[in-house]
Amino acid sequence: METASVPGGDRSILERSPLARLPDRALKYSLTVLAGLILALIVYFFIRLVGEARPAFSHSGVFGFAFDNNWNPSAERFGALPLVVGTLITSGLALLIGVPVAVATAVYVTELSPRRVRAPITILIELLAAVPSVVYGLWGIFFLAPKLQPAEQWVADRLSFIPFIGGGLVTIPNYFITGLILAIMILPIVSAISREVMATVPSDHKEAALGLGATRWEMIRIAVLPYCRSGIVGGAMLGLGRAIGETIAVTILIGDSQKLGSHLFGQGYSLAAVIANEFGEAQGLHRSALFAAGLVLFVLTLLVNGVARLLVQRASHANRPETTAKDRAEGGPMSIAGATGI
Amino acid sequence: MSAQSPAPDQLARFNVSPARRRKDKIARNTILAGTLLALIPLALIVYYLLLKGLGSWSLSFFTTDPTGNTFFKSSSIGGIKSAILGTVEIVALASAIAVPIGVGVAVWLVEYGKSSWFAQMVRFFVDVLTGVPSIVFGLFIYIVLVVGTGSSFAGYKGSLALSLLMLPVVIRSAEVILMLIPGALRESALALGAPRWRVIFSVVLPTALPGMVTGVLLAIARAAGETAPLLFTAAATNKTNFNLGQFMNSLPVQIYSDVTSPTTAVVNRAWGAALTLVVMILLLNLIARLIARRSRLA
Amino acid sequence: MITNKIGALAGVVLLALGLAACGSSSSSTSSSSSASTTSSSSGSTTISGAGSTFAAPVYEQWASSLSPLTVNYQAVGSGAGITSLESKTVDFGASDPPLKPADETAIAKNGSPAVQIPMFLGAITVSYNLPGVKTGLKLDGKTIADIYLGTVKTWNDPEIKALNPGVSLPSTAITVIHRSDSSGTTSGFTSFLAAVDPEFKSKVGEGKEVPWPTGTGAKGNAGVAGAVQQTTGAVGYVEQAYALQHNFTYASVKNKAGQFVAPTLTSTSAAAQGVKVPANLGIKISNPDGAASYPITSQTFIVVNEDLCKAGLSESAAKGVVQFIDYGLGQGQSILSQADYAALPASILAKSKTAAAGLQCNGSSLGG
Repeated sequence: METASVPGGDRSILERSPLARLPDRALKYSLTVLAGLILALIVYFFIRLVGEARPAFSHSGVFGFAFDNNWNPSAERFGALPLVVGTLITSGLALLIGVPVAVATAVYVTELSPRRVRAPITILIELLAAVPSVVYGLWGIFFLAPKLQPAEQWVADRLSFIPFIGGGLVTIPNYFITGLILAIMILPIVSAISREVMATVPSDHKEAALGLGATRWEMIRIAVLPYCRSGIVGGAMLGLGRAIGETIAVTILIGDSQKLGSHLFGQGYSLAAVIANEFGEAQGLHRSALFAAGLVLFVLTLLVNGVARLLVQRASHANRPETTAKDRAEGGPMSIAGATGI
Repeated sequence: MSAQSPAPDQLARFNVSPARRRKDKIARNTILAGTLLALIPLALIVYYLLLKGLGSWSLSFFTTDPTGNTFFKSSSIGGIKSAILGTVEIVALASAIAVPIGVGVAVWLVEYGKSSWFAQMVRFFVDVLTGVPSIVFGLFIYIVLVVGTGSSFAGYKGSLALSLLMLPVVIRSAEVILMLIPGALRESALALGAPRWRVIFSVVLPTALPGMVTGVLLAIARAAGETAPLLFTAAATNKTNFNLGQFMNSLPVQIYSDVTSPTTAVVNRAWGAALTLVVMILLLNLIARLIARRSRLA
Repeated sequence: MITNKIGALAGVVLLALGLAACGSSSSSTSSSSSASTTSSSSGSTTISGAGSTFAAPVYEQWASSLSPLTVNYQAVGSGAGITSLESKTVDFGASDPPLKPADETAIAKNGSPAVQIPMFLGAITVSYNLPGVKTGLKLDGKTIADIYLGTVKTWNDPEIKALNPGVSLPSTAITVIHRSDSSGTTSGFTSFLAAVDPEFKSKVGEGKEVPWPTGTGAKGNAGVAGAVQQTTGAVGYVEQAYALQHNFTYASVKNKAGQFVAPTLTSTSAAAQGVKVPANLGIKISNPDGAASYPITSQTFIVVNEDLCKAGLSESAAKGVVQFIDYGLGQGQSILSQADYAALPASILAKSKTAAAGLQCNGSSLGG
């Protein structure tokens, strides 16, 4: 879109000389090459890891590796199912607990709080990101987990009729505490991105809702949240990525269970934790199996991200007529939904 | 700037039904409760860190290297100087790599790639990268650059592992922010005759700057606090050195190895180091925000 | 759009380059010459090592007494340490278990045979948290195995009572703690139990990580120690240095000769005395003979190539490595006790010293 078309006028005054167009071209091509390089790097990363993982896959078979419920390196049995499920449970918990709280903080800071309180609260939430992951793990296992154990036991006893949640002995390292700490760890990023997105909601959207008599909450629900949906999901995806990939804290908090953990307040295992726990001492086939576990993690992230994108795409398609009108007005949401590809 | 919403008694005048008023109140309180809930763990962690770490702080703590002397009760165990300097060096290099590249890719995605198949591919793979465990980045560099080439552990290899970790976060968050800039802003600049590159550098990026700073700071904070990627790449050493081509110490690795020591004084040093790291990142946060606010276009 | 094509082309070109590099680098692990971060500037040499986490505090301690020689040691784990040595990433490796034949072959590819030198010993205590019961509870291998199998569930179980007449044992439930991460400590503990209890051997086996039928996993020695301290009725296997430094209560374990022995430094060193030493010094202490031996003892090695310079080290680095090993086998042994690690018994120490004396640089001997 470098030259506008002027009907009937002398277009030459608007055209730029080839020399003047050079910086534009240079920028475009160099950025494109950069994107291509990054893509190639990531693919190389993937390929290299597949290479390292191959011996394990030929030993156990790809499906055998992914779905066998037995991780026993000493016996050279590598079934990653307990690890996959553990990763899903802990990340799922992290999202379940973390995203609503994060969005709540973002809503509070942008819409409800008194102005003076905004900056302090923002900084405090981001302070959570400053804590190293090893500290989260240690704080969790030495401080929080013992304190929560009685409460966890109470819940397990009261709700023993619900499979998976109830019944069974509550151990100090367990799925729940891992998911909880992960939720705290993803708070800053989800909150920050949600906050940034909410801050850009055009005020006439909000004022229109208020002018029609909406209460504060209704205004938020009608004007703010839908506008921010894809941005919030983007933030949540980053949070999920963090939760799935967190290594050290999970390793400390999840305990160790080579078979599928049987209940929420019992030990489990996760893909990242097994790599951290075993790589230092692993050689040969075992090492290869750990790389294979890393690959399973990629596939997992891929699948979850893909599902999330599909869901958001469905949602934005459902709103299509409104968005087209809105975006003609100011080029807003359509560019988010469309260009992000979410 | 958001409009003032009517106070509850005024709502009655506008004929807002009690049910809606109640929902409004409940929703507001829930949101407030959620915010407070988010702040509780912070208070607890800070309290715990201060409790365990403040005792180790002293001038010599910051100005002496760890001596490697871990079990002689009489001799000094040293401080964490090399760890602090190492973290600064390694994270600075990692950021210098990841931030320009990440922002560049995000700009490309939003301005040029848009929804083309190629851009979708890039987004797809960046998404996959977000879920990779931090240790795998370290292992990748370990295989390719350490074991693969038969060369030693080095600080810059740790930086590379960390920049891989930071890249998807920077790209994704920058992309979200850049997306939010209304097309009208770009179009008006273009209509005024500005070339594309000018629009990007003078209009788009400055407008996006505060938001991107947030994303970048979060990525840096994460990188500074990660242990796993550094264990097999930068390794650790006790002496301060400014050569990124050598073993380099870092705070997370120092914390990780100290906290498992049987010697109580060494464990205390670990907590002092943890507190130091948190304070360092906080300072970085504050400074960066100040700068961003100053440079923001009115 | 042309941007797509250019981007795609750049990507493909780089992919091709990457694959080519990937293909070649995996076959050229031993083609690079300079391996280590050796720099000798006005007399200060730097050497590097990697491996065992168990040995890390000791090597760090020894290193701190050796300036101007700088020793950079990274505790990446025994397995990764050996891999690093094989690929010439570091000057020496450190491993708790003796080298496997495959490792010896791989290391030998660097120009000369692999040499493993036993450096010191450590014991694994069976620590428990039982208020009212002093240290020194008598346990034998079978009972410990039964605890870890889950068949002995309370502290006043008849099996434990039989070994400890006169000690009043509470009916507290036993909380079993084990390691969640791969470690040589687990390996030493399980190899003892497997040696003395066939049921444990078949149901659980031995190794750096095993399928524990019961119990909670904790990360690292510190994790197990912390878990034991936090839970009344807990039992966990904790490294000797840790247990001694923190005044844990631990069991006296029955050895092969039938004596109940506490894990002292003396009984640990005694355990290595009766061990058969193979030609390559790859000792493995497992339920040793000797009346004074503590039965759950393990060893740790430094591993190098016999001819260090052929393996890529500079002469000063090679001298530095030998200096480090000599110190460890000399004065280093006497300071071990201050940190609650056990020194090698005289017989094995002599063999280690001989091996160290045999190290060479391009054919000429370095040992002294």
